[in-house]
Amino acid sequence: MGVSASALQLVQVDQQRKSFRIHRSAFKSGEVFEREKEQIFSRCWLYLGHRSEIPNRGDFVCRSLMGRNLIFQHTRKGEVIAFYNACTHRGAAVCWDKRGSKKTFTCRYHGWVFDTEGKLKSMNAESGYPEDINDDGHLNLPRVRLEQYGGLYFINFSDQTIPLYDYLGDYMRGVIDAINDQSASGEMIITPGEHAYSINANYKLLIENSADGYHLMPVHRTYLEFLADRFAGSKDADVAGTMKGFSAIGGAKAVGNGHYVLESNVPTGRPVASWIEPWGSVLKEEIDATRARLEQKYGKERMEYICELQKNIVVFPNLVINDILATTIRTVEPTSPGTMQVTAWCLAPVEESAAMRAIRLDNFVSFLGPAGFGSPDDGSMLNSAQKSMSGSPTEWTELSKDLQDVDDLRVAAGPPDGETHMQGYWTQWDMMLRGAETLEG
Amino acid sequence: MANTNPISRAEAEDFLYHEAELLDNWALLEWKDLYTEDSVYEVVSTDCDDPENADPTTSLFLLADKKDRIDGRAVRLMKSAAHAEYPHSKTRHLYTNIRVAGHDRNGTRLKVNFLVHRTGGDITTHFMGELHYLLVRVGDAIKIRKKRGILDLNSLNDAGQMTIIL
Repeated sequence: MGVSASALQLVQVDQQRKSFRIHRSAFKSGEVFEREKEQIFSRCWLYLGHRSEIPNRGDFVCRSLMGRNLIFQHTRKGEVIAFYNACTHRGAAVCWDKRGSKKTFTCRYHGWVFDTEGKLKSMNAESGYPEDINDDGHLNLPRVRLEQYGGLYFINFSDQTIPLYDYLGDYMRGVIDAINDQSASGEMIITPGEHAYSINANYKLLIENSADGYHLMPVHRTYLEFLADRFAGSKDADVAGTMKGFSAIGGAKAVGNGHYVLESNVPTGRPVASWIEPWGSVLKEEIDATRARLEQKYGKERMEYICELQKNIVVFPNLVINDILATTIRTVEPTSPGTMQVTAWCLAPVEESAAMRAIRLDNFVSFLGPAGFGSPDDGSMLNSAQKSMSGSPTEWTELSKDLQDVDDLRVAAGPPDGETHMQGYWTQWDMMLRGAETLEG
Repeated sequence: MANTNPISRAEAEDFLYHEAELLDNWALLEWKDLYTEDSVYEVVSTDCDDPENADPTTSLFLLADKKDRIDGRAVRLMKSAAHAEYPHSKTRHLYTNIRVAGHDRNGTRLKVNFLVHRTGGDITTHFMGELHYLLVRVGDAIKIRKKRGILDLNSLNDAGQMTIIL
């Protein structure tokens, strides 16, 4: 590359020329990646799991985040906490199961026993240790800072970062509320089954792609053609016609702290709560009831926002929530500058009917995931971009579409087929990488 | 009158080798006609606790196609705008250890070990596991009423995506 990444302004904005561009070392450089881990991933709130994954006392899920092995735990006392899955004795994992329910964790190496709060209960030794060896608690499994909003639990590796509530901000909390409002009881669950796959590309390429209204027609034409075939003869058959109006409804919004939301209209139908004729009349009743409930509670405008607009959401730096034809929670974990691991789950209202759940899951796999009709074509674009840009003399990626004339690009709105929201993400990314934004209160 | 005679292992083998050949030759418009109108083609998630009995209406699968999407998958993958399979990858489907697992009025059930090699660009990946088939006779032909793939993988981190048909 020949340029020391830290000496370079990696994001350049020129309002006169309406230019927003990103130096491609942001996608390729090992030095940038190390700085990202330190400046961004060690300071930002990172999604760990959903409340519904550990409903009962003793339930746990083991999860790896940025190379750290963690246990997401519902304690016997009823608290939800997270601690490291590495024995304080000689380092082995204290839990080898992916998920389950336990009263205690016994290390397989020398038999040390920890309770569900991570406290050391036994060292499996008759003698050899002073009795007060753990009075200061240093041999308990270290906890990780954990906070939740709307059932979504996030960890933070820094004690200094502002609380999750403030980190998300008003707009993002409102979007999460809109998703949880799909449930009359406000209770959403993760359905069984996950998608775990990888893409050979920088993680930020998937973050951009996950809420990119600009790419829909070129990349997903075959999916839209499949929909049109399937809807033929129904009142929803004119998929291409609806897509022609795509740029007129909704918007691409940077909503602070690097988070963003693409709000748009795509004619797939939404289990909550936008009915299409091909689903049949049974589901229409359930959807009409949901719409009536929400209209009564919030008024027509908010009801339509919740029910009709597709929301492609990014919580900075690496959580995607796509509330589209189904609702997916997708985490994107960078494993090197040019590789990422993706994990995705399906989120659903706990009380929806069996028929609606079936439609939701069917919608999910029709488009999303490593074998859907959509995501793999996205993955191919990212693989291609990563591979081809590495040998290209073009040093900068152009991300200028619909650049807004505002002081802080982290709060800006543009049309749904633009790049305004991504400019907000990249501005936050750049500021954090340089230390100009630390998220400290 | 439907012919409900059991399908023998030898017949099943011939049929599966034919399916494999169609897939490896990217003759997908012919391949989709191996499936009955009420058929399903499914692959369970890699973290599924009970892959044999899991239900795609209550659990997230990797894919769960009814006949309309089996057809849609075949049609889509034959288009040059299906970017993930453009150009088509090279595949080799190996079906082996073919066992007749039972027969009733719904058809003949098979368990089949599979190994599918896929090369896309310069990258070769492998999908392996067990396929559960329900085959039926339709006139003189054998057709697939159900095909469920159970991968011996804990994630698709090695393979990346699964854009080919198992």
